[in-house]
Amino acid sequence: MTPAHGLPGPVAAVLWTIVPAAALLFVAGYRMAAARLRRRGDAWPRWRDASFCAGGIALAWAALGTLPGGPFTRHMALHLLTGMAAPLLLVLARPLTLVLRSLPPGRGRRGVLALGHSRPVAVLVFPPVAALLDAGGLWLLYRTPLFAAAQHRPLLHAVVQIHLMAGGLLFAFAVCRLDPVRHRGGGIAVRGGALLAAGTAHAVLAKSLYAAAPPGTAFAPADLRAGARLMYYSGDLAELALALVLAVEWYAVTGRAWARARRRLTRPDPDPV
Amino acid sequence: MVRREAEEAAGPGRENRRSIAVGALVGAAVMAASDEIVFHQVLGWHHFYDRSTPAVGLLSDGLLHSAELLGLVTGFFLFADLLRRDALSAGHAWAGFLLGAGGFQLFDGVVDHKLLRVHQIRYGVDVTPYDWGWNAFGAVVLLTGCALAVRARRRSVRDDEA
Repeated sequence: MTPAHGLPGPVAAVLWTIVPAAALLFVAGYRMAAARLRRRGDAWPRWRDASFCAGGIALAWAALGTLPGGPFTRHMALHLLTGMAAPLLLVLARPLTLVLRSLPPGRGRRGVLALGHSRPVAVLVFPPVAALLDAGGLWLLYRTPLFAAAQHRPLLHAVVQIHLMAGGLLFAFAVCRLDPVRHRGGGIAVRGGALLAAGTAHAVLAKSLYAAAPPGTAFAPADLRAGARLMYYSGDLAELALALVLAVEWYAVTGRAWARARRRLTRPDPDPV
Repeated sequence: MVRREAEEAAGPGRENRRSIAVGALVGAAVMAASDEIVFHQVLGWHHFYDRSTPAVGLLSDGLLHSAELLGLVTGFFLFADLLRRDALSAGHAWAGFLLGAGGFQLFDGVVDHKLLRVHQIRYGVDVTPYDWGWNAFGAVVLLTGCALAVRARRRSVRDDEA
């Protein structure tokens, strides 16, 4: 966590101050909004606050730690934190729902709603598109000279990190679908299929990294293998977590439908012919 | 969907086909997961990566790995759903479990190890007895599953007539 890799000043300053500061500001904002909701009587479970805090702190910590250079395994650990763990924790906290509930009725809230229901957002959160953007970005990073280039150019490195985070957020958001945006053609099978495809792409990429380093890099073989294994098994954890979110939602929805159907059948017919 | 839910809610009927399918899903996923845990991680016989694996083998390996996790979660929740609606036929579910487990073991032994050559059971030894043992075990489990399925079917027909 020390700036031992000799970054040029301005970009390092951005990475070291603005990103973590923004993450922590968002956390503070979330906490305040959630507290206000609770004061006015809304039910807003506390674990969501905890989830958002953990995600925000993980992002801030990863931003402080991600400097170009260093061992592959450390790069991979921070990538997993930025691209998978933090996004999932943030998405589980339903930030958009909180924003919509907190904003007073008026232009601000209408604007956020319109954005959530706009066509570009609908395209982006279509699970296969989100999976392609997320997993495709990973393949570009590790299987092209992009990774090696980012090791020497701090600005490019920062862009790559931000893309990792944005891709992870988008994918988790599209698969979990906890917040109200316009969803088209994304039933549980489509979301599960996108998860399956992204999990496959992740696992294959991890195994290919075990065998061959990203082009233009020269990591020690042991380091490369440890990093690839870490990627493989952490990917499993993320896939498992997302699958559980989907399954719990399916279980709740079908349970409610079943209970409704049973009530209808057991209720005496109100209008006998 | 809603109509089917309503039909299901009409009476506590055992859903035999669904029970067998859910059992098979859980069986295959459990077998795939235990293969990975026992042979890759505990015994260290399989390699994490085998340099002679063709690209299609690597792809199928990744797909299987990803599907196995989703299969475990899906199967568990479908099973819980059958239990909650009191629609589980235990005999069919057990038959399905063995069918799935044995079917996966055979598939892994024949398609993954031999056709796609994703990896071998063990390295540095003559692999033939291992292959025979692996596939014979899969076949025995699969056949046991068939026998249980037949028995479960007979029982449910008899119960329906009674």
